[in-house]
Amino acid sequence: MAYKIKSTSVLKELMRDYFQRIGQREKPLAWCTSVGPAELLRSFGFEVYFPENHGALLGATRTAGSNIPAAMKCGYSGDICSYTTSDIGAFLNQSTPLKTQYGLDGIPRPDLLVYNTNQCREVEDWFHFYADRFNCSIAGIHPPRHLHSIRAAEIELVTAQFKRILPLCEQISGQKFDLDAFREVLQLSSEATLLWQQVLRTAMASPAPLSFFDGTIHMGPIVVLRGTVEAKTYYAELLQELQENIAAGRGFLQQESCRLFWEGMPIWGKLRALSDLFVQNDAAVVASTYCNSWIFDAFNEKEPFESSARAYTEIFINRSEQAKFTMLQKWIEDYRIDGVIFHDAKTCFNNSNARFGMPLRLKNKLGIPSITIDGDLCDLRFYSEGQSITKIETFIEQIQNQKSFI
Amino acid sequence: MKIEKHKTSSPHFLGVDLGSAFTKFTVCDAGGKIVHQNLIKTLNIRSRSLKDSVERIYGQFSIKSCCATGYGRSKFEPAQIIKTEINCAAEACLALRPKEKCIIDIGGEDIKIIHCDEAGKVESFYLNSKCAAGTGAFLSEIAERAEIDLTQMSVLAEQSASEREINSFCTVFAKTEIMGWLFDDVPQQDIARGIYAAIINRVNSLRIDSAGPVFLIGGVAANHPFFNNLLRKSLGKEVFVPQKSEFIVSFGAALMAKKYDDKTKRD
Ligand code: SF4
Repeated sequence: MAYKIKSTSVLKELMRDYFQRIGQREKPLAWCTSVGPAELLRSFGFEVYFPENHGALLGATRTAGSNIPAAMKCGYSGDICSYTTSDIGAFLNQSTPLKTQYGLDGIPRPDLLVYNTNQCREVEDWFHFYADRFNCSIAGIHPPRHLHSIRAAEIELVTAQFKRILPLCEQISGQKFDLDAFREVLQLSSEATLLWQQVLRTAMASPAPLSFFDGTIHMGPIVVLRGTVEAKTYYAELLQELQENIAAGRGFLQQESCRLFWEGMPIWGKLRALSDLFVQNDAAVVASTYCNSWIFDAFNEKEPFESSARAYTEIFINRSEQAKFTMLQKWIEDYRIDGVIFHDAKTCFNNSNARFGMPLRLKNKLGIPSITIDGDLCDLRFYSEGQSITKIETFIEQIQNQKSFI
Repeated sequence: MKIEKHKTSSPHFLGVDLGSAFTKFTVCDAGGKIVHQNLIKTLNIRSRSLKDSVERIYGQFSIKSCCATGYGRSKFEPAQIIKTEINCAAEACLALRPKEKCIIDIGGEDIKIIHCDEAGKVESFYLNSKCAAGTGAFLSEIAERAEIDLTQMSVLAEQSASEREINSFCTVFAKTEIMGWLFDDVPQQDIARGIYAAIINRVNSLRIDSAGPVFLIGGVAANHPFFNNLLRKSLGKEVFVPQKSEFIVSFGAALMAKKYDDKTKRD
C-alpha cells in the first residue's frame, strides 16, 4: 500500500483555519518575513501573514509564471527573487490562489510590515513595495550578515533592533508591550520548533518516515503558526505518527538504495514530479537545509530578546561559507547522506550554495559527491526538465555504482 | 511493439541511444564485440523506421537483453533496463581504455563532461541545463544562418587562418552576430572556423582536470575532424576520438545490457 502520512488531513485543516482567521480580520494584521520576529508580533495580538508562504503557494500552484510579467512591467527584473516578483505580480493582477484555496478576497491588507534581512536584502524592497501601496507602517531588523560565529556584540546589536520596533507595534496594535506575553509566545514557539526538529530527525531512521518533499508540506505551521498552541499540538501529533511508522518499519521508500540531501530552495512547481523521480530510482531524499531553517533551538523565554536575536541571526542562510560547511557536515553525518543535490535557484542566490566552491569542498574534505541542478523556486522558465532528470538519474546511478549496484 | 525474438542461437545484446537528433542502435555479442550499428532520425520515433530497425535487429540476432539510454530512454518499450547516457558513455570508454579519463560528449542539444576514475566509474560530471551553448544545435543553427553546408564545414574551416571568434554563447544572439560577419563579407572559411572556435571556448569554460586523456565522443566529433584538432591544440592534451563516435553511447548501453544479463543469471 502506498505510504501516506495521515496527519496531512489535520495539517490542511490547520492551514485553512489560519487563512480564515486572516480573512475574518478580527485582529490587526502584521506581515512578517518567514524568519522574521513573528513571536514578538504575536505577543501584541497581531495575526501574522507571511508573503513568502504566498510565494510558495504561487510556485506550487504554477501560477507564478503568469504573474511575474506584471511585476516586471512595474520595474522589477525577472532575475530577482521570484517570490517577490510573483507575489507583487499576483497583487497587481488581483489573482491569487488565496481566493480559490482559502476563500480570501485577495492578498490581505497589512496593518504593519516587519521584515528581517537575515535572509536577504530582497525582502526589504519587497515589503517596501507594499508599504508604499498601502501607505502602511514598516519596520526592519538588519542584522550583520554572513557570520562565521555569533558574538556578544552582534546579539546586543540585534536585541536593540528588536526593542526599537516596540513603540511602532504598540501604536499599531493599540496594546502595551507585555513581557510575559512575549515570554509565553516564545515558549510556545520554542516547543514547536524543537518538536519540528524531532520530526525532521525521524528521517535519520531507515527506512525514513519523512522525505524532504513531505517536509516542505509539513513545515507550513512552523513558518506561519509558530508561537501558537496549534503549531505545537500539530507537531506533537505528527511526531507520534512518524515514530509509530519507524517502530513498524514503515517508510516512504522501503528499500533505500541511497540517502540524499537537498540543498537550497525547493522547486515548488515540481515537488511531486521530483519526489516521484527519486522514489522511482530508489533514492531517499531524507534531509535538507531548507526544512532545517526553521529550527530555532536558541529560543529561551528567560531571555526573550537576546535569545530571539541569536536564534534569528544564527540561521544557515546568514552564515559564512565555513560555518555553512560545518552545519552541512553535521547533517551529512547525522542523516548518513551519500550525496548532495544542490539546487542553484536562478532568482535566489542567497539560498543557492553551489556558487562559492561548496560542492568541491564537500567532495575533497568529506568525500561526498554532489550535483547541481539549475532551476528556480517559482519561475519554471529557468528549469530544464529533461536535462535535470538526466543529471539526477546519472547521479543516483553513480552513487549506486559506488555502492556496487548495477 | 510486437517483437520477433531469437533468430540466432548465440546471445546478443542491444543498446539503444534515443538522442535528441538521432536514435542509435548497437548490437554486441557475448564478448562485447560490435556486430551491428545503425541510426535513424529521432523525429521518426513513432514512425515505421523505428519499428523497422527494431524488428530487423530482433529478427537477425538473438537479443538476450536490451538497455535504453538518451533523452527518450524511458519511452523505449523493449528495454529491460534504462541507464542514463552519462553512465553508458563511461561504460563504453572503459571498454575502450580502462584508465582514468575525461569524456567530452557533444550531442545535438547538450554537452557533457564526464570524469571517470581508473575503474571507469563516473566520479563527477557536468551537463548543460541552462542553454544550448556549445552543442550540435548551436553549430548547425549558426551554420544554417551562414548558409554553410554542414558536410563541408570542416573542410572549409581548414582553409582558414582567421583568429576571429563568435563571442556570444547564446545560439540566437550568435546568429545575430553572424549576420554582422555576413554584412562584412567575412569568407565562409573564416565563419566555419569561428563557429568551431566558439564551441572550443565553451568547452574551455568547463572543468576538465582529469590526469588522464580526453575522449571526445558524440555526433559533432564524428562529423567535424577540424573541430577535434582545434580541441587537441586548445587543451594541449591527448584527445582520442573513437571510431564512429556517435555510436559510443549506444555501445555502452549494449555493454550495460550484457552486464544486466550476467547479473540476472548470477542472481
Ligand atoms: S531568501 Fe531568496 S527566495 Fe527567500 S525572499 Fe530572499 S531572495 Fe527570495
